[in-house]
Amino acid sequence: MSSFTERRPKGTILSKDKNCKQTVPNYKDTEFLKKFLSAHGQIVSRKRSGYCAQCQKQLKASIKHARHIGLLPFVG
Amino acid sequence: MNRLYEGMFLLDNQVVREDWKSAKTLVAETLQKHGAKLRTLRRWEERKLAYPIAGRKRATYFLGYFDIEVDGLPALRRELDLSEKVLRHLILSCEALPETENELAAAELAEGFTVPAPPPDDAPEPKREEERPSFEDTIEVPDLNDLEDVR
Repeated sequence: MSSFTERRPKGTILSKDKNCKQTVPNYKDTEFLKKFLSAHGQIVSRKRSGYCAQCQKQLKASIKHARHIGLLPFVG
Repeated sequence: MNRLYEGMFLLDNQVVREDWKSAKTLVAETLQKHGAKLRTLRRWEERKLAYPIAGRKRATYFLGYFDIEVDGLPALRRELDLSEKVLRHLILSCEALPETENELAAAELAEGFTVPAPPPDDAPEPKREEERPSFEDTIEVPDLNDLEDVR
Protein backbone atom coordinates (compact mmCIF):
# COMPACT_ATOMS: atom_id res chain seq x y z
CA MET A 1 0.00 0.00 0.00
CA SER A 2 1.38 3.36 -0.97
CA SER A 3 1.97 5.85 1.81
CA PHE A 4 0.48 9.30 1.89
CA THR A 5 3.74 10.96 0.74
CA GLU A 6 3.99 8.79 -2.40
CA ARG A 7 0.62 9.87 -3.69
CA ARG A 8 0.49 12.24 -6.61
CA PRO A 9 -0.77 15.58 -5.32
CA LYS A 10 -3.87 16.87 -7.00
CA GLY A 11 -3.09 18.94 -10.07
CA THR A 12 0.54 17.88 -10.66
CA ILE A 13 1.72 16.23 -13.87
CA LEU A 14 4.26 13.95 -12.16
CA SER A 15 4.26 12.41 -8.68
CA LYS A 16 5.76 14.91 -6.28
CA ASP A 17 8.68 13.32 -4.50
CA LYS A 18 10.96 14.93 -1.97
CA ASN A 19 13.95 13.01 -3.37
CA CYS A 20 13.22 13.73 -7.00
CA LYS A 21 14.36 10.88 -9.23
CA GLN A 22 12.33 11.78 -12.28
CA THR A 23 14.09 11.66 -15.61
CA VAL A 24 13.99 14.93 -17.48
CA PRO A 25 13.16 14.39 -21.14
CA ASN A 26 15.52 15.35 -23.93
CA TYR A 27 14.59 18.21 -26.28
CA LYS A 28 13.80 15.64 -28.99
CA ASP A 29 11.02 14.05 -26.91
CA THR A 30 8.48 16.70 -27.88
CA GLU A 31 5.37 14.69 -27.05
CA PHE A 32 6.45 14.41 -23.41
CA LEU A 33 7.62 18.02 -23.22
CA LYS A 34 4.24 19.24 -24.46
CA LYS A 35 2.74 18.04 -21.17
CA PHE A 36 4.70 20.75 -19.39
CA LEU A 37 3.37 23.58 -21.52
CA SER A 38 0.22 25.53 -20.83
CA ALA A 39 -2.43 26.17 -23.48
CA HIS A 40 -0.54 29.33 -24.44
CA GLY A 41 2.82 27.55 -24.68
CA GLN A 42 4.20 28.75 -21.34
CA ILE A 43 6.34 26.46 -19.17
CA VAL A 44 4.34 25.30 -16.15
CA SER A 45 5.59 26.01 -12.63
CA ARG A 46 7.23 23.51 -10.29
CA LYS A 47 4.03 23.37 -8.31
CA ARG A 48 2.25 22.09 -11.40
CA SER A 49 5.00 19.93 -12.93
CA GLY A 50 6.04 18.12 -9.74
CA TYR A 51 9.78 18.39 -10.51
CA CYS A 52 12.43 19.39 -7.97
CA ALA A 53 14.28 22.68 -8.55
CA GLN A 54 17.23 21.05 -10.33
CA CYS A 55 15.04 18.99 -12.66
CA GLN A 56 12.81 21.98 -13.38
CA LYS A 57 15.90 23.84 -14.60
CA GLN A 58 16.77 20.93 -16.89
CA LEU A 59 13.18 20.84 -18.13
CA LYS A 60 13.33 24.57 -18.88
CA ALA A 61 16.55 24.10 -20.86
CA SER A 62 15.07 21.18 -22.84
CA ILE A 63 11.95 23.18 -23.74
CA LYS A 64 14.00 26.19 -24.76
CA HIS A 65 16.26 24.04 -26.95
CA ALA A 66 13.18 22.50 -28.59
CA ARG A 67 11.75 25.97 -29.20
CA HIS A 68 14.97 27.19 -30.82
CA ILE A 69 15.08 24.31 -33.28
CA GLY A 70 11.37 24.69 -34.17
CA LEU A 71 10.00 21.62 -32.43
CA LEU A 72 7.87 23.52 -29.91
CA PRO A 73 6.09 26.86 -30.20
CA PHE A 74 7.07 30.01 -28.37
CA VAL A 75 4.60 31.69 -26.05
CA GLY A 76 1.81 33.39 -27.88
CA MET B 1 40.65 19.20 -25.91
CA ASN B 2 38.36 16.91 -27.88
CA ARG B 3 34.81 16.55 -26.67
CA LEU B 4 31.76 14.70 -27.90
CA TYR B 5 28.94 16.89 -29.16
CA GLU B 6 25.43 16.27 -30.39
CA GLY B 7 24.30 18.41 -33.30
CA MET B 8 20.83 18.90 -34.68
CA PHE B 9 20.69 20.60 -38.06
CA LEU B 10 17.54 21.92 -39.65
CA LEU B 11 17.82 21.85 -43.43
CA ASP B 12 15.70 23.46 -46.06
CA ASN B 13 13.42 20.91 -47.76
CA GLN B 14 14.38 22.35 -51.13
CA VAL B 15 17.92 21.00 -50.65
CA VAL B 16 16.63 17.63 -49.43
CA ARG B 17 14.20 17.34 -52.34
CA GLU B 18 17.05 17.55 -54.86
CA ASP B 19 18.99 14.74 -53.17
CA TRP B 20 18.86 13.87 -49.49
CA LYS B 21 22.32 12.28 -49.59
CA SER B 22 23.88 15.47 -50.91
CA ALA B 23 22.13 17.35 -48.09
CA LYS B 24 23.70 14.92 -45.65
CA THR B 25 27.17 15.38 -47.15
CA LEU B 26 26.69 19.15 -46.97
CA VAL B 27 26.42 18.88 -43.18
CA ALA B 28 29.21 16.28 -42.96
CA GLU B 29 31.61 18.38 -45.03
CA THR B 30 30.90 21.50 -42.96
CA LEU B 31 31.68 19.58 -39.79
CA GLN B 32 34.82 17.96 -41.18
CA LYS B 33 36.05 21.31 -42.51
CA HIS B 34 36.35 22.52 -38.91
CA GLY B 35 38.17 19.42 -37.72
CA ALA B 36 35.21 17.43 -36.42
CA LYS B 37 35.49 13.66 -36.35
CA LEU B 38 32.09 12.29 -37.24
CA ARG B 39 30.76 9.32 -35.30
CA THR B 40 27.25 9.19 -36.74
CA LEU B 41 25.09 11.38 -38.91
CA ARG B 42 21.58 10.51 -39.97
CA ARG B 43 18.33 11.98 -41.15
CA TRP B 44 16.23 12.31 -38.01
CA GLU B 45 12.83 13.44 -39.26
CA GLU B 46 10.95 15.55 -41.76
CA ARG B 47 8.20 17.45 -40.03
CA LYS B 48 6.03 20.49 -39.81
CA LEU B 49 7.67 23.28 -37.85
CA ALA B 50 6.05 24.71 -34.74
CA TYR B 51 6.45 28.18 -36.27
CA PRO B 52 7.67 29.31 -39.70
CA ILE B 53 11.45 29.65 -40.00
CA ALA B 54 12.77 31.68 -42.94
CA GLY B 55 9.32 31.43 -44.49
CA ARG B 56 9.37 27.61 -44.41
CA LYS B 57 6.56 25.65 -42.80
CA ARG B 58 8.28 22.25 -43.06
CA ALA B 59 11.93 21.21 -42.85
CA THR B 60 14.18 18.17 -42.42
CA TYR B 61 16.19 17.47 -39.29
CA PHE B 62 19.63 15.82 -39.37
CA LEU B 63 21.12 14.46 -36.14
CA GLY B 64 24.85 13.94 -35.75
CA TYR B 65 27.35 13.00 -33.06
CA PHE B 66 30.92 14.19 -33.48
CA ASP B 67 34.18 14.87 -31.64
CA ILE B 68 35.62 18.33 -32.10
CA GLU B 69 38.24 20.54 -30.52
CA VAL B 70 36.59 23.10 -28.26
CA ASP B 71 38.53 25.89 -30.05
CA GLY B 72 37.03 24.90 -33.40
CA LEU B 73 33.44 25.21 -32.25
CA PRO B 74 32.88 29.00 -32.59
CA ALA B 75 34.05 28.94 -36.23
CA LEU B 76 31.74 26.01 -36.96
CA ARG B 77 28.78 27.78 -35.34
CA ARG B 78 29.52 30.92 -37.34
CA GLU B 79 29.60 29.06 -40.64
CA LEU B 80 26.31 27.32 -39.84
CA ASP B 81 24.78 30.67 -38.89
CA LEU B 82 25.76 32.15 -42.26
CA SER B 83 24.62 29.15 -44.31
CA GLU B 84 21.36 29.66 -46.17
CA LYS B 85 20.72 25.94 -46.56
CA VAL B 86 20.97 25.24 -42.83
CA LEU B 87 17.99 27.06 -41.35
CA ARG B 88 18.84 26.40 -37.69
CA HIS B 89 21.34 24.36 -35.70
CA LEU B 90 21.72 23.24 -32.11
CA ILE B 91 25.04 21.90 -30.82
CA LEU B 92 25.14 20.53 -27.28
CA SER B 93 27.85 18.69 -25.38
CA CYS B 94 27.09 15.03 -24.84
CA GLU B 95 28.46 12.54 -22.31
CA ALA B 96 28.24 9.36 -24.40
CA LEU B 97 26.92 8.19 -27.74
CA PRO B 98 23.40 6.72 -27.35
CA GLU B 99 23.31 2.95 -27.85
CA THR B 100 20.70 2.95 -30.59
CA GLU B 101 22.41 5.65 -32.63
CA ASN B 102 24.96 3.37 -34.35
CA GLU B 103 22.23 0.94 -35.44
CA LEU B 104 20.00 3.69 -36.80
CA ALA B 105 22.87 5.29 -38.70
CA ALA B 106 23.90 1.91 -40.15
CA ALA B 107 20.32 1.19 -41.22
CA GLU B 108 20.31 4.39 -43.21
CA LEU B 109 23.48 3.39 -45.06
CA ALA B 110 22.04 0.01 -46.06
CA GLU B 111 21.00 -0.56 -49.66
CA GLY B 112 17.35 -0.12 -50.43
CA PHE B 113 16.87 2.56 -47.78
CA THR B 114 14.66 5.20 -49.27
CA VAL B 115 13.53 8.54 -47.97
CA PRO B 116 10.04 9.76 -48.80
CA ALA B 117 10.04 13.00 -50.75
CA PRO B 118 9.08 16.02 -48.64
CA PRO B 119 5.50 17.19 -49.24
CA PRO B 120 5.16 20.14 -51.61
CA ASP B 121 3.44 22.52 -49.14
CA ASP B 122 6.66 23.88 -47.65
CA ALA B 123 7.15 26.63 -50.18
CA PRO B 124 7.85 30.04 -48.64
CA GLU B 125 4.90 32.32 -48.36
CA PRO B 126 4.91 35.03 -51.04
CA LYS B 127 5.45 38.51 -49.69
CA ARG B 128 2.30 40.53 -49.76
CA GLU B 129 2.57 43.86 -51.43
CA GLU B 130 0.33 46.25 -49.65
CA GLU B 131 -2.01 47.95 -52.02
CA ARG B 132 -1.60 51.61 -51.39
CA PRO B 133 -4.32 53.84 -52.77
CA SER B 134 -3.06 56.25 -55.34
CA PHE B 135 -2.41 59.82 -54.28
CA GLU B 136 -5.16 61.22 -56.45
CA ASP B 137 -7.79 58.87 -54.95
CA THR B 138 -7.12 59.87 -51.36
CA ILE B 139 -6.69 63.63 -51.52
CA GLU B 140 -8.98 65.86 -53.40
CA VAL B 141 -6.97 68.61 -54.98
CA PRO B 142 -9.02 71.79 -55.01
CA ASP B 143 -9.30 73.68 -58.21
CA LEU B 144 -7.13 76.78 -57.99
CA ASN B 145 -9.54 78.84 -60.09
CA ASP B 146 -12.28 78.29 -57.50
CA LEU B 147 -10.01 79.53 -54.71
CA GLU B 148 -9.41 82.78 -56.52
CA ASP B 149 -13.15 83.33 -56.72
CA VAL B 150 -13.48 83.04 -52.96
CA ARG B 151 -10.88 85.74 -52.41
